[in-house]
Amino acid sequence: MSAVEVRLEPFGGVVLSAAQRERLALLADVVVAGGAGMPSASGAEVHTQWIDRVIAVRADLAEAVSRVLVLEGDPDEVLAGVRAGDPELFSGFAFAVAGAYLINPRVRRELGYPGPAPMKSPALPGEAEAYLEDGILDVVIARGPIYRPTPGI
Amino acid sequence: MSSKDVPDVLIVGAGASGGVAAKHLAEQGFSVVVLEQGDWVNQSDLPGLRPEYELLGGGPWHPNPNVRQRPEDYPLNLDDSSAVIGMFNGVGGSTVLYASCWCRAKPSDFRVRTLDGVADDWPVSYEELEPYYRQVEYDLGVSGQAGNPAYPPGYAPPLPSLPINMAGRVMAEGMNKLGWHWWPGYNSIASQDHLHQKKCERYGVCMYGCPQGAKGSVDVALFPDALARGARIETGARVARITLDENGLANGAVYFQDGEEKFQAAKLVMVGANGIGTPRLLLMSESARFPTGLANSSGLVGKRFMTHPFGTSVGLYENDLEDWVGPTGEAIESMQFYETDASRGFVRGSKWHIIPSAGRPLGMINRFTLGEGGVAEEPFWGPAFTDRMKSSVGHLIEWMIMPEDLPEEHNRITLDPSMTDSDGLPAAKVAYTTGDNTKRLVDWNLQRSLEAHEAAGASKAWITSRNNPSWHNMGTAKMGDDPETSVVDRWGRSHDVPNLYVIDGSVFPTATGVNPTATICALAKRAATHIVETRREQEVSTA
Ligand SMILES: Cc1cc2nc3c(=O)[nH]c(=O)nc-3n(C[C@H](O)[C@H](O)[C@H](O)COP(=O)(O)OP(=O)(O)OC[C@H]3O[C@@H](n4cnc5c(N)ncnc54)[C@H](O)[C@@H]3O)c2cc1C
Ligand code: SF4
Repeated sequence: MSAVEVRLEPFGGVVLSAAQRERLALLADVVVAGGAGMPSASGAEVHTQWIDRVIAVRADLAEAVSRVLVLEGDPDEVLAGVRAGDPELFSGFAFAVAGAYLINPRVRRELGYPGPAPMKSPALPGEAEAYLEDGILDVVIARGPIYRPTPGI
Repeated sequence: MSSKDVPDVLIVGAGASGGVAAKHLAEQGFSVVVLEQGDWVNQSDLPGLRPEYELLGGGPWHPNPNVRQRPEDYPLNLDDSSAVIGMFNGVGGSTVLYASCWCRAKPSDFRVRTLDGVADDWPVSYEELEPYYRQVEYDLGVSGQAGNPAYPPGYAPPLPSLPINMAGRVMAEGMNKLGWHWWPGYNSIASQDHLHQKKCERYGVCMYGCPQGAKGSVDVALFPDALARGARIETGARVARITLDENGLANGAVYFQDGEEKFQAAKLVMVGANGIGTPRLLLMSESARFPTGLANSSGLVGKRFMTHPFGTSVGLYENDLEDWVGPTGEAIESMQFYETDASRGFVRGSKWHIIPSAGRPLGMINRFTLGEGGVAEEPFWGPAFTDRMKSSVGHLIEWMIMPEDLPEEHNRITLDPSMTDSDGLPAAKVAYTTGDNTKRLVDWNLQRSLEAHEAAGASKAWITSRNNPSWHNMGTAKMGDDPETSVVDRWGRSHDVPNLYVIDGSVFPTATGVNPTATICALAKRAATHIVETRREQEVSTA
């Protein structure tokens, strides 16, 4: 495995050059190819936009991305090699790509999330009771105590 | 300094136990100083409402201090530990990040030697602790359903239950088919506005800190009352050692603040620094009188470390369960397999609970790529990724299998000979191996949890992980009646130093099979109550 040659600067500054982004698009699509009605990594702007958010908050993942970006060759073969030879590096790279992909609001919407980030979903009045009002707990109660009593021991 | 300027009580650590004690003692008119190595956490700094919340939770907000690497964190040497260990260091302690699963221990937990012939009975019974559970449940806004047959009658949380949500409901139906116990979960999360806590808005990011102030984290729920009654918290104050006067009574602590060494005097010292931080501090406080560590005449300080190396299983379900709706505490729990049944090949048992899974979509990666039963060998990356995510996000239910963990003296905390924190104090070194009983217990319960998934209608179910970091640290300053075999007495008072109390999970003689914070808080409340009730007889340092 080649040594780290590219340093991605987290926390602002220039993160990736245009050439690096192009290369990342190819590699990221090996990890998230798209399908089931959902875009690929590059289709979801992982390489142009969302990877920056990952790099900004996770220096460990930035390092994994930088180490994979310097590897030359066919993207499928490069990543197959990394996966076989350095599974931890593959995990870091794949996690970074998935992390970028999954913060794209369009992807979140496709997956059914109500918003681009966690949202309020206050319980409706009576919601807690509604789950139980058909007596679903009755059989549990009817079976009686299931703890081992200890008084006097 | 005249003795009237010396505070009555110094508490080390502003976490769960420190918060309970500080509030109680300040409200009873004691002067209280709390030394806390971390800072206040500003709600607006919490990561939960940012799109990259999960990435932040795996980095600067990770429960493992070695990953977080904040200046206030002390490192852990985990080279000899089969479990990853962690905590949060700041006002609120680990409750800032905790999932708020609120679990009373059960009567049998206090009598494991008598009932099961293992480990030790506690010097306290469930019945003795029950009034203190009740009091802290009120103070920490516990929501739940009364009448659980898994507990003695009378357990009625102060706030109504949170909704069990769709995942809880689907699994409850499955459990009913099997005739297995389940109950709506208990959470120290307010289902309605309560004291300092606001009503839960179900963001589902509880383990990244609650942006709503609904969770019973003690910085939100308890410290405001303590401060209003005159308690003082020194933040950024890392205690290096507890000091003794010539009579062997605790008289304060030396601490570092902004790199400067300072001294805080006190008439009585309480340590609530977490099951790792407490033995570390006692060991750092060695002296000519206590050459192997303060209050360590039993030799047990740091030994018998227990955690709950829990397992998980998941099932895939056809219906959309919207399983990102919070809270990320317990939706439902089961105590079906909590009590010992010797025919299973192990003693003691496990509490199970369901925790919303889709709030952490990145978590799906490990669920598949490390899944047992051939799942890890199935394609996940490439063309499979989107399909896997679509079939699981919102369609997956996860059981967490919390095991009893029994004490073994070789599982221990010591001071690391070379690694240090930012003040040059030794790191904690953790030696821990998951015991055979715990492994068998987790395995057996995981297999049963697959049956529960099947009964609930899962199209596929598998075991996703074992030996998970529970962030529960217990047992390292054992409570007991005999000074030869325990560090503190039934009140948490050191057998060796009569004005030194340990109030955190260190005092647990056994781990119980439930999340520990309810019991930590109840014990801290009981210790603080005892200090108030016996204040006239309490020996204190006058030096
Ligand atoms: C992610 C996560 C999820 C969890 N989920 C649950 C759950 O659902 N249910 C449950 O019951 N439990 C849960 N826990 C565990 C729970 O948070 C702890 O059991 C509880 O907070 C322990 O209380 P404590 O008082 O012992 O210590 P803590 O709350 O950890 O507080 C100890 C404090 O002492 C301070 N301290 C330590 N050493 C020093 C020193 N030398 N000088 C000054 N200050 C010091 C620390 O900075 C810290 O603030 C969870 C924990 C985590 C991290
Ligand atoms: S679900 Fe409730 S407790 Fe959890 S973070 Fe949201 S508001 Fe807070």
